[in-house]
Amino acid sequence: MTSYSSLALRIGVLAVTLAMAGAVRAQDGITVYNAQHASLTQAWADGFTKETGIKVTIRKGSDTELANQIVQEGASSPADVFVTENSPAMVLVEKAGLFATLPKDVLDQVPSQFRPASGKWMGVAARSTVFAYDKRKLKEADLPKSMLDLADAKWKGRWAASPSGADFQAIVGALLVLKGEPATADWLKAMKANSSAYRGNSVAMKAVNAGEVEGAVIYHYYYFGDQAKTGENSGNVGLHYFRHQDPGAFLSTSGAGVLESSKHKKEAEAFVKWMSGKHGQAVLREGDSFEYAIGNGEASNPKLEPIAKLDAPKVEPSQLDSKKVTELMTAAGLL
Amino acid sequence: MTQLVISDVSKRYGATTALDRVSLTVEPGSRVAIVGPSGSGKTTLLRVIAGFEAPDAGTVVLDGQVLADGPAIAPAHLRRIGSVTQDGALFPHLDVAGNLGFGLDGSEPDRAQRLRELMELVELDPAMLTRKPHELSGGQQQRVALARALARKPALMLLDEPFSALDTGLRESVRQAVARVLTRAGITTILVTHDQGEALSFADQLAVMREGKLVQTGSPYELYWRPADIETALFLGNAVLFDARIETVGVSCVLGRLAAETGGRSGSGTIMLRPEQFRLSPVGPGLEAGIEDIDFRGAQCVVTLLATQGGAETRFTAQVPSVEQPQIGDVVFVSVKGPAFLLPSAG
Amino acid sequence: MTVSLSLDAPALPALPLRRQRNLAGRAMLLLASGVALCALLPLGFILWIAIETGWQTALALIWRPRVGELLANTLLLELCTLPPAIGFALALAWLTERSDMPGAKFLSWLAVAPLAVPAFVQSYAWVSLFPRFHGLPAAALVSVLAYLPFLYLPVAAQMRRLDPELEHAAASLGQSPRRIFLRVVLPQLRLAICGGSLLVGLHLLAEYGLYAMIRFDTFTTAIIDQFQSSYNGPAANMLAGVLVLSCFGVIGLEWLLRGGARYARIGSGAPRPAPRRRLGAWRWPAVTLPIALALLGLGVPALTLSRWLMADGDTIWRQGALVASLATTLGYAAAGALAAVAAALPMAWLSVRAPNRATRFLESCHSYPGALPGVVVALALVTVTVRIALPLYQTVATVILAYVLMFLPRALVGLRAGIAQVPVELERASASLGRNPARTLLAVTLPLAAPGVAAAMALVAMGVATELTATLLLAPNGTQTLATEFWALTSELDYAKAAPYAVLMILLSLPMTALLHAQARRSLNA
Repeated sequence: MTSYSSLALRIGVLAVTLAMAGAVRAQDGITVYNAQHASLTQAWADGFTKETGIKVTIRKGSDTELANQIVQEGASSPADVFVTENSPAMVLVEKAGLFATLPKDVLDQVPSQFRPASGKWMGVAARSTVFAYDKRKLKEADLPKSMLDLADAKWKGRWAASPSGADFQAIVGALLVLKGEPATADWLKAMKANSSAYRGNSVAMKAVNAGEVEGAVIYHYYYFGDQAKTGENSGNVGLHYFRHQDPGAFLSTSGAGVLESSKHKKEAEAFVKWMSGKHGQAVLREGDSFEYAIGNGEASNPKLEPIAKLDAPKVEPSQLDSKKVTELMTAAGLL
Repeated sequence: MTQLVISDVSKRYGATTALDRVSLTVEPGSRVAIVGPSGSGKTTLLRVIAGFEAPDAGTVVLDGQVLADGPAIAPAHLRRIGSVTQDGALFPHLDVAGNLGFGLDGSEPDRAQRLRELMELVELDPAMLTRKPHELSGGQQQRVALARALARKPALMLLDEPFSALDTGLRESVRQAVARVLTRAGITTILVTHDQGEALSFADQLAVMREGKLVQTGSPYELYWRPADIETALFLGNAVLFDARIETVGVSCVLGRLAAETGGRSGSGTIMLRPEQFRLSPVGPGLEAGIEDIDFRGAQCVVTLLATQGGAETRFTAQVPSVEQPQIGDVVFVSVKGPAFLLPSAG
Repeated sequence: MTVSLSLDAPALPALPLRRQRNLAGRAMLLLASGVALCALLPLGFILWIAIETGWQTALALIWRPRVGELLANTLLLELCTLPPAIGFALALAWLTERSDMPGAKFLSWLAVAPLAVPAFVQSYAWVSLFPRFHGLPAAALVSVLAYLPFLYLPVAAQMRRLDPELEHAAASLGQSPRRIFLRVVLPQLRLAICGGSLLVGLHLLAEYGLYAMIRFDTFTTAIIDQFQSSYNGPAANMLAGVLVLSCFGVIGLEWLLRGGARYARIGSGAPRPAPRRRLGAWRWPAVTLPIALALLGLGVPALTLSRWLMADGDTIWRQGALVASLATTLGYAAAGALAAVAAALPMAWLSVRAPNRATRFLESCHSYPGALPGVVVALALVTVTVRIALPLYQTVATVILAYVLMFLPRALVGLRAGIAQVPVELERASASLGRNPARTLLAVTLPLAAPGVAAAMALVAMGVATELTATLLLAPNGTQTLATEFWALTSELDYAKAAPYAVLMILLSLPMTALLHAQARRSLNA
């Protein structure tokens, strides 16, 4: 009978040891709050650790979740580096005054269009908005000329998106900058009526592929990623680029920045420099992320539509207002 | 030999008075039974003696050692008081040997020998030492519980309704065995019970409790034949009550003149007769009464009688040997064996 | 003469006299009040946020079409899930306990086994097998399959415990078997049905993974969406408030339906087992119902998992994160179980040893967080730690605290049973045999309560091992548990890599499921 209590004791000791191990692991090296795809940031972190010996601990989350979290944590945030999929979350943290200014040599690794004038953070990758459609159902002529066309009643029940994701919210952010609040609110209201909501871009694309809906507003790389694997979720999918500086042609910048509160600023800056530099960009070009490389003179994966041909609208990253976007989407009943 | 002195012990639970200035002296080597209906405070008194409950006021002294002085009490485990409860409270996770040895000093030599002696003391087969409590019958469990308490050679033994969970047949034999063992060990014992038969046969001193008060103490014989009040009279057995006029010698009632101690009282009062005091005969002298009903009980039978005198009907019961059992409808003459008891006046 | 007598008798040493202050009881009361206060945290948090947000904003966030939509969804889900689940539970329980269906014992195990499959693994299995499967019908079907055991267990237990004499009496009064079932058996099952339905109803409200995967929006999924968009903003918190109200609504409804009856432990079981009804020609066809349910609830996950496991061979077992997350999960499960049992101990002791109105109130404070979705508890702890106790933020301690709050009722149930195994008479017997209170605790109380304590710990550990939302929101940086890794992989549609995690979670849950089933049966035979 007493073996019960000794067993409990042993389990307890084991538990505490394991928990301690977890806590200790986070002590050395740098902590990255990562909203980018886990596999991409992991590849960056592995390459960086291999080259510098600096350990990287990753916390996963989504863009605005982690950004808001950093804002709430304030000066005591455990994060050293913040990496996102899109810019609005970076703007949120920048506005709270929590980013340290990046050194000029780091900033200069990417063209100025991919970073704010403040120099508080910088782009490390980019992704393009696309309309992924079912090739069996839609012909070139049927495709919407502009993303705004999807608000038309004729598109009712025919398209999908992932409104809870930061990707789509960034696109709405661009729409807000380009067309203003009333137009954006109207478009979102129409979207609530017309579209079906999926949780995640890949799930939305999969739905298009399966013929559940005719098209979906997503980012380009989900298609290429799937094509590179088995293609089982994208065999019937075609990509339509809106171009013509349409809000739907928005090129979203994935950002990285170093927190002012970081106790390992040097290492943190080194990581940002590594991601935006030669090796980090090579991961984009050669890996399976299929995001655009944006470093000076760095080519993207040759399978992708070249950035120059996308004719994306010019959106100053610091103008993207994620809080307003969430409010508008909540008001429209999408959240 | 041990003397227990309880003085003016009181205990309240909120608005309820569980014990109201109870005083009791238990003489060395005696067996005291505390009886009373449920809720009379007898179990509370036992818990105060054992140390599981602190009195609000009063003292408990055992052999000159103060066990309780108002709310200040000595811890139960230092008291040298053994206890056996209704269900025995054997530890279900220990075998009989483990239970018996629970209170023994771990380093005691001849432990095995001691356990065997204890088993023999309570008239159990030592082979049962390896059994678990649930493999024993109720009577065996109670004997083990007694042996377990005896193992520590307690100065005082408390028995809290120890036989009530047993079958009627078993109850008597276990009770006799326990009485034998305690007498042999010479241990002062207090028994709490609501069964008056058990109390009368087991104890050499009875204490009757009611509503937290100790109403009467004395020998079983004394209490049976000379109860302090009607309730005690009825609690200890069947009783027949008659209104009576007190004469200079004895009393007179429907049954005529009866012998009784009057203690110099005069006027009227209530007398008590036990049903077995009545003698029924087909011829006088005596009170003429008709047999209304007969309840056959084996050796004895209980007869309901109806006497009519001067237009007033009196109905009462008598207990007679069944060899002398009359028939329903018979007319008999009722006389009384022994004296009647004049109950103390209520005031 | 008297002088020489007193010299003969050796004077006994004076015993220490102390006022009995019932220190243990007071300490327990103090500790239990502390735990109750912690348990009130989520509720207090919701109120606090509502006040802080301002009634105007709060009202605007609550009184909007989206909330109405979610409310309708939730209501529909409850309505589409509970009646069929009750029906199936009754049919299964009757077939396995009261009929001569072949293999009844084995089939009763099969009916309980889906407990070992976490709800979100169940929906993963269905979604990856039928990709277009979504919405209300899918949600209701998977919910029935995943939560049926919660109804089957109590209903079957009660059905075994029924006194057959009542049914014989009804038959002798000329009632047909069908009418006997409706008028005699069913009313006696009301408590079991109400209790099981309450449990299922609350799970439907709290579950995230199942409905996120099958694309059915409930309050819980909407809260997580909001959380991902704006962290713990007012919108998420207001949704949590509505969710808590819904939970109380379900509890209140159950309380009304249950009526005056109380969940008292029913005596020492039926005097003898009820006779099993002969099914005659229906004997073999009857087997199809339990088999069909087992095929849906166990066969589909088994099929999906084996398909994905086979597809990628043994390479998927060589993911480094697999071992790490298994170790972390085990660590969290053990630490959570220990902490929850320790936290529930004072309350369990009080409710067995000192039941009164005050302790009953404390007990309800301990029990209600079990009805709260993990996401609400987590939101409360995120906000409180960030704003008030930052050093505790994102620490193991906070995650464990969340587990303690969420699984406090489970721990309480097991512990209460354990302590009830040690009647106070045994502790008194030990004292009267000369053991002081500390030694009594070691020699009597602990050994006897141990099985109950172990069962309580197992129940909590099983809950922790498959917990998703609170872990996602609260765990320290870099923490990977089986559930969070499984979730991350399925979110990226990497179903093959996710399969080993699902298998490990099921394996971890199996022993606990067996324990539950065995316990339910034992309580009947005792």
